[in-house]
Amino acid sequence: MAESAIEKIKKESNSLRGTLKESLLDEHTGAIREDDRALIKFHGMYMQDDRDRREERAAKKLEQLYSYMIRLRLPGGFLSAQQWLALHEVSEQYASPVIKITTRQTIQLHGVLKHHIKPTIKEFDTVKLDSIAACGDVNRNVIASAHPRFSAIHKEIFLYAEKLSKLLLPKTNAYYEIWLDKEKISADEEKDKLYQDRYFPRKFKIAIAIPPYNDVDVFTNDVGLIAIIENNNLIGFNVSAGGGMGMTHGNAATYPRLASMLGFVNKDELFKTVYAIATTQRDFGNREDRKFARLKYTIDRMGIDVFKNEVEQRSDIQFQEEKKYDFTIRHDEYGWHQNHERLYYYTAFVETGRVYDNDKVQFKKAFYEIAKSGKAQFRFTCNQNIIVSDIQPEHKTEIENILQQYGIIQITKTASPVRRNAVACVAFNTCPLALAEAQRYLPSLIDKIEILLDKYNLNNEDLSVRMTGCPNGCGRSVAAEIGFVGTAYGKYNMHIGGDATGKRLNKIYKENIEEAEILNSLDELLKDFSGNKSFNESFGDYVVRKKIV
Amino acid sequence: MLTEQKLQSFKNIIHESSRDEIIWMSGYLAGISEKNAVAAPPAFTENIISTEKLTISVLYGTETGNSKKIASKLASVLKGKQHKVTLKALDQYNADNLKKESLVFIVMSTHGDGEPPAAAKRFYDHLYKKSHDFSNLKYAVLALGDSSYPLFCKAGEDVDLKFKEFGAIQVLPIEKSDLDIYAVSDAWINNVVNNLPTVANALLPKPQPKHATKNGKRFYKGVVKTHINLNDRGSLKETWHIEIGTDEAIYYLPGDALGIVPPNADEDVLEIISLLSANKNQTIDYKNETITLFDLFKTKLNILYMPLRIVEKYAKLIQSELPSVRLDLKNILALYPFNKDVSLEDFIAILEPITPRLYSVSSSPYAHGNNEIHITVGRNKFLVNDKKKYGFCSNHFAGLNDGDEVTFYINSNERFHLPGTDKDIIMIGPGTGIAPFRSFIFHRDDEGASGRNWLFFGDQHFHTDFLYQSEMLSFFETGSLTKINTAFSRDQKEKLYVQHRMMQQSKELFNWIENGAYIYICGCKNTMAKDVEATLINVISEEAKLDKSEAENFLSMLEEEGRYAKDVY
Repeated sequence: MAESAIEKIKKESNSLRGTLKESLLDEHTGAIREDDRALIKFHGMYMQDDRDRREERAAKKLEQLYSYMIRLRLPGGFLSAQQWLALHEVSEQYASPVIKITTRQTIQLHGVLKHHIKPTIKEFDTVKLDSIAACGDVNRNVIASAHPRFSAIHKEIFLYAEKLSKLLLPKTNAYYEIWLDKEKISADEEKDKLYQDRYFPRKFKIAIAIPPYNDVDVFTNDVGLIAIIENNNLIGFNVSAGGGMGMTHGNAATYPRLASMLGFVNKDELFKTVYAIATTQRDFGNREDRKFARLKYTIDRMGIDVFKNEVEQRSDIQFQEEKKYDFTIRHDEYGWHQNHERLYYYTAFVETGRVYDNDKVQFKKAFYEIAKSGKAQFRFTCNQNIIVSDIQPEHKTEIENILQQYGIIQITKTASPVRRNAVACVAFNTCPLALAEAQRYLPSLIDKIEILLDKYNLNNEDLSVRMTGCPNGCGRSVAAEIGFVGTAYGKYNMHIGGDATGKRLNKIYKENIEEAEILNSLDELLKDFSGNKSFNESFGDYVVRKKIV
Repeated sequence: MLTEQKLQSFKNIIHESSRDEIIWMSGYLAGISEKNAVAAPPAFTENIISTEKLTISVLYGTETGNSKKIASKLASVLKGKQHKVTLKALDQYNADNLKKESLVFIVMSTHGDGEPPAAAKRFYDHLYKKSHDFSNLKYAVLALGDSSYPLFCKAGEDVDLKFKEFGAIQVLPIEKSDLDIYAVSDAWINNVVNNLPTVANALLPKPQPKHATKNGKRFYKGVVKTHINLNDRGSLKETWHIEIGTDEAIYYLPGDALGIVPPNADEDVLEIISLLSANKNQTIDYKNETITLFDLFKTKLNILYMPLRIVEKYAKLIQSELPSVRLDLKNILALYPFNKDVSLEDFIAILEPITPRLYSVSSSPYAHGNNEIHITVGRNKFLVNDKKKYGFCSNHFAGLNDGDEVTFYINSNERFHLPGTDKDIIMIGPGTGIAPFRSFIFHRDDEGASGRNWLFFGDQHFHTDFLYQSEMLSFFETGSLTKINTAFSRDQKEKLYVQHRMMQQSKELFNWIENGAYIYICGCKNTMAKDVEATLINVISEEAKLDKSEAENFLSMLEEEGRYAKDVY
């Protein structure tokens, strides 16, 4: 089989430049040229169009309403107050005003028109933010446990996330030339030993978890690192590889997979090890069929032992036996917490990660005011929530008042556990891959699930419900206790039986069902669960024990 | 056979010639006569020449752009073979036209659960809503899909079945392509090209447009078939694309205008009749016609914003003092009541007819047929005493609904017609000024004109106000539009207009002009046209190294040659 079309585009892109500059100058269209649509992803952007408006615009003889999604590279998911202000301004001026917190601890803006891309990127650049490699066949945003309770270790882990991101960043200067009008640099400086001219065969994701928290869903990543702490010191990492959520409907050869454990490495061996995994995937990954290009398929094709051996050869580091760790919690712990330095943190619940203002809660107004005060910083979680962080004890009341004033404390306190644990990807109306709704629909489905939980006295159950609009898995539905994967408009595959901490995938329970059948199924399952579950047994564990799936 | 004189000369020559000479002469004469026979074209040759090209429509229904890519490729291959090819997205295609088509190729993707792409839904529904007669139609379908879905290529199959059911003839059986589209689609394109029907049985004669009759206005009765506000939500503009269908053939050329006498509003007419204490059904003689009072005020007489000369005449008529202010007739009658001593006839005699409005036609008789005509009407909004008011005629059009009747005539615009097909044209038409150029481009596309076409368009905002964008993009992709430059004044801090784009393209623009290009301007007279003309003079002066007055002379010369024409209002 020949190499896929994308491989050719990458190779001929002149280090990711393509004809992006020319595309920006095309006056007649809001789109960019064909090949550039693949390349712009490496710059952290997707060309999209408003799918709700296609028919109406076509009748008006207007092209599709093209716009761009811009995703930031935010290793560890951190924004300073000043950066938040810039983000806020950009979202108001150049984008649809919703700031979307992704499931990978960063934010993305939607609806940026072609002629607003450069001003947006420039604005971000003034506060040292960029979107390099936030999408595309490269190492994506490096995520790390966000919870402040472990911030002594967290600080160190956060630096690892930053360094890994830097280590695996493409060397091309294209981003600076195209979006920021910077001068060219010499070809030598651009030489990229890691990516060469072909980059990875597919996306590549790294996560770092600090046990007992698995908020990053560590095993769903290509490389999952588990921080091993002894006597309050970070000593190294358990390294796992080959996780990935994506699959293709109707193609049984594709599958979601949790990462396999390779073993433990000392912390000074981490970079070499990760780099060796990256180059192994670069050299052995499938470049013919993108459906089979993720590391999980490479590992299964090579065999885990051969793969591990290859990595050891390349890094000259032997994996030690994995160290003991325990994950007990995957969701965020909401509300106020204080860390070892006595700084305060408030974890706010942001439903489906959409930061905007409505009648009940005004996230944007609140965070803008907090950022303006300069008395807090911001962290994002992989559960699409936000942590207002690093607050001096004397400023706590002031911040709390703002959170109260704009309804954030109320909504965080009153939302049910099932709602607070829920995750949804973007899907309609902008995601070109979406087959069904996700973030626009899940909240109303949760309303109905809450009624069922109430019926069976399960209101306090920490149930994890996740929804994605297509089988690519941004919402990590297959690692949920109850997962929905869109198949067509209004229809979902329903998966059940994941565990509550991300160590077991769920299984398909019913295919292609609509809301009425979803609710009927849940009614039966929850009734059964409430009557027969053993003490402290989670829903996911129950349906597996009972062999319902 | 020969005249007496010729016969005598002929006999003399023969008489004076040897036998060999006579034999030579007979051969020579035979040769001459044969040559003449060949040189004179047989009557049927012309037909063959004029029908050598096939008229083909390539249609696509696309969700992700794959169908479009394949359709564009097929269209350009067919164009390369000198056929007349129209490439259209199904959302841009009026399915009623299918019965007029002779050869159609459709590339159709399937989305989700066997659904057609959203953009093709209207077309698809049209096939299912009612029965059609496609017996003159030949076609082939390429269906795209993903075989991992149960209803693989369903939408394409449905279209194929429906066409068959309506009597259309398959040129090729339906072809289905899975995700690896290019292998299949390239083979399909080859197949299509190798299996084109022969000319004679594929082509229907096309109605040839004739010039509008010169003597007087000929009124056509038409019905509004489609009316669309081209501006998107959020726009400050409102521009209506209106398609009018007629039973009788309309004769016009691209560049001509549609003339219309906009009727007055019913409530205004009734108010006036009541102020006159008259009966709306009362008949009256007006210009050799007997007509009811209602119809007279509704369709003939201007009752809005009365000119001062009429105000003065009315003052005399009712023998009273009226201020010199322009008011609507109903206000005048309310403030200064009609005097019963005056006869209705005398009153009507002082009134003036409704001034007809002219709109550049935006359709082409070639591309859209002779039973259909399109116009592009900007609804004029302005504030009077802080109240939003609309222009009389544009408001009339904006208020029309599908099915409403329209009476119109064609106003020939001799100075604004297309040049020969091999000539290049430069079209500068911001806002509704694009109307005649849409006609030009459709026409030249349909003719397969070899001349190049360059369009300058501008408006307020790219995303809401790019009139006919998707059509222009298809023409640009297939090469029927060679260049397209746009200026959207309010998308950036500094106002940007077409003349700025022209200045940026100065060198190329002058190249075209030197090459013999024809320049057309259409749109707003007072601002745009003046600025654009000044810019043209700048371009000429800069590129040809002429001083300003020389450049002006150059442009006048172009105008005299008919190479520079304006249709401004």
